[in-house]
Amino acid sequence: MDSQPELPIPISYVSGRYLLHSIEAVTYLRREHHICGVLIGTLPQIPQQNVFLGLPLELMPEEARLLVDKDVACIVDEAKAQKGMNNLLEEDRRRYLRELEAEGLHYTRLQVDLKDSKREQTMKKLEEKKAKAGAKAKAVAAAAAAQTQTSEGAAPKSSMKDAAVVDLFAPDDTRSSSPATSTPSQSAMAITPATSYPPLPTPPSSTHLAAPAVPPSYPLFAHLHSRGYFLSPGLRFGCQYMAYPGDPLRFHSHFLVVSYDWDQNIDLMDLIVGGRLGTGVKKGFLIGGAQRTIDEVDSEADRVDTVRAFSLEWAGM
Amino acid sequence: MADADDDVLKNPANASVQPEVDLSDETQDFRFLNNLNIYADSGSLPRRGEKDFEPNPTEHQTGVLSESRKAMHIALSFPRLHGSKSHVIAFYAPDGYFPLAEVSPPKAPQHTEKSTESPEKPVRPTPRSANINPDVCVYVPNPKGTLFKSVGQSDRWNRLWLLPEEALYLIERGSLDIRWPSPTDPAVTGQDDLSIPMSLQAAYASFVGHGGLTLERYSVYTGLKRLGYTLARAPGWCDEAEQQENEHETSPSSSVHENVKPMLRGAGLAGILGSFFNWLHDPHSTASTTTGPMIGTGIHRHYMDVYRKLAIIPWYDPVTAPPSNPSDITAPFRVVFHVWKPSTPFKKSAPPTPEFRVAVLSTRDQASMPTMTQLGALLESTPLDPPSGEKMERMMYMRLRHGYRHVILAVVDQGVVSYLRVADSAFGKEKLYENQGGPRGPKRGGRGQQKSRKR
Repeated sequence: MDSQPELPIPISYVSGRYLLHSIEAVTYLRREHHICGVLIGTLPQIPQQNVFLGLPLELMPEEARLLVDKDVACIVDEAKAQKGMNNLLEEDRRRYLRELEAEGLHYTRLQVDLKDSKREQTMKKLEEKKAKAGAKAKAVAAAAAAQTQTSEGAAPKSSMKDAAVVDLFAPDDTRSSSPATSTPSQSAMAITPATSYPPLPTPPSSTHLAAPAVPPSYPLFAHLHSRGYFLSPGLRFGCQYMAYPGDPLRFHSHFLVVSYDWDQNIDLMDLIVGGRLGTGVKKGFLIGGAQRTIDEVDSEADRVDTVRAFSLEWAGM
Repeated sequence: MADADDDVLKNPANASVQPEVDLSDETQDFRFLNNLNIYADSGSLPRRGEKDFEPNPTEHQTGVLSESRKAMHIALSFPRLHGSKSHVIAFYAPDGYFPLAEVSPPKAPQHTEKSTESPEKPVRPTPRSANINPDVCVYVPNPKGTLFKSVGQSDRWNRLWLLPEEALYLIERGSLDIRWPSPTDPAVTGQDDLSIPMSLQAAYASFVGHGGLTLERYSVYTGLKRLGYTLARAPGWCDEAEQQENEHETSPSSSVHENVKPMLRGAGLAGILGSFFNWLHDPHSTASTTTGPMIGTGIHRHYMDVYRKLAIIPWYDPVTAPPSNPSDITAPFRVVFHVWKPSTPFKKSAPPTPEFRVAVLSTRDQASMPTMTQLGALLESTPLDPPSGEKMERMMYMRLRHGYRHVILAVVDQGVVSYLRVADSAFGKEKLYENQGGPRGPKRGGRGQQKSRKR
């Protein structure tokens, strides 16, 4: 989990959107670069709910741009890259299929083991219950001394069962390995891989796309991000971005962020509405923008240094 | 949000009765997910945990955070496995629908025999089957299981053809094993099957962008599917079908319009003006809006008459309103999905009347609020659905809320979906003075359009 994936991380560009499919990349970017994105996929283990979602991770163009500017990531035209699937050599195919089969076999074994251990546990529980019942019977029997013979008969019976269980599981090692070796192809589970990169080679840097185009709010986004905030899309909460002081996994957001151009006229009502909304949910309403326009500076990165931000709070007197 | 959060934290027993807390609104702590036994298919969800206000340099907090991240990592790297019992194989057909090759009859039985293992080489005939959607791109030779009840189209070889969003949803939830078409003819290589399973990444790359499927539309589709709704493409899905759809969709409303017109007063400015002049020239009335008392002199026996005379402001009636110009319907303000509740019995061959109509908007392509014309045209494209039923008769606010036409806007902001219900309500139709005792409940104002959060 603490591994560092190979840089730059390829971001899939699919029909105008930026997606990440590799779990290593997602964890790494979240940990090291404070990029969270939005999970949009279905979790195969619990597919019928919307509370926990899984891969892929959708990145805002701002996030993708930030990563590209930092040379952490690159943009890959995924639809084009996937066409390479049709040109795979036969040996590569065979090798990949073999790998998948080995992996599937691994999961099959895991599942068998899990089932075994579960069965073992329930058996143990049953045994414990029986032992308890036996002990009770013994106590009762001890009180009523007349029935000693039957209780003594019960105790060895249970211990014999214990022995039987042990017997059952003693040759288990040989048994569990024997079906696996004898019928490997049938028992291997089929797998739908998450990404296409082992079979496909890493796309060469010549095929990388240009850095993503970003909305005018990008300088403010980059500014807040450089100050350690985690940002996520915020329309659902009535703003452009939500700014979190730390990983949203653990913290509530502090600011509702809206970006304005420096010379833009701001409707007073917008400020009142935003301020009231933010105060109502115990967050600050933050507005900001870059003082320089893109014509005045060399690059988008220079504008980030000229960003100023203000926060509003509704102080009902 | 924070208020609600605090309440929940202080009073967790209350959380279940608070319908307004939507768990999916927030980033959830994945640690709770992994407490579930993921091999058992228990559908229950974990409760959410506490969050801190701000980071502090304690080891405790660092530890908890890294635990959470680890849990997330484990949950997200869960593999998509296909056990032998539930294994359903499908094949990717990048060129769309093709019939089984009948040109070579000796080959046909061979195909059916091993159709589950080997993909057929795509043979593209010029005439496409009329009833199969041209956007299909995946077929399932041997469909089994309940998931296929509401998706796909079968052809005469009993293959089930899936649209890109259907295929992507199924592969993503781990219910379908889609294979790349094999480059080699299976007849040549013999038994060797070299078709590679498609990865989820490849599926996204191949299906999103195919046949009008955008990532936003897919997010809405899959989000509602996860909740159990049944979805089907609406005629507004693609641009070409737009014209047809308009003709088709507006015909019932226009016929209603014609039936109603003679009975009620004419619609539009001319009609209103006409009735206004009629009323002005009414010889029995001494009332005049220009010169005299508006309600006229004489004996008034009922307040109702007085109120009726005072009602001189023309109002909008969705039933008699003239149909708008179909060319006003512009992307993205088009109905792209028909949606049915999970409880509604659904038949693929004869889908019931849609319960919801959903238009999908992307905030990055459509940054401003829709104009009145756009919204009006969108509502106009849905059939008239006046409030009916015993409850509606009784409760005025429910009638207003329900409206005469309604549509759901799914606003997708970078993967985060919000649903808005837009209804065409007729405030003019609700004569408050005819109500005994007047309306109850909080005062609410508004005009022809009324919005409310769905869910």
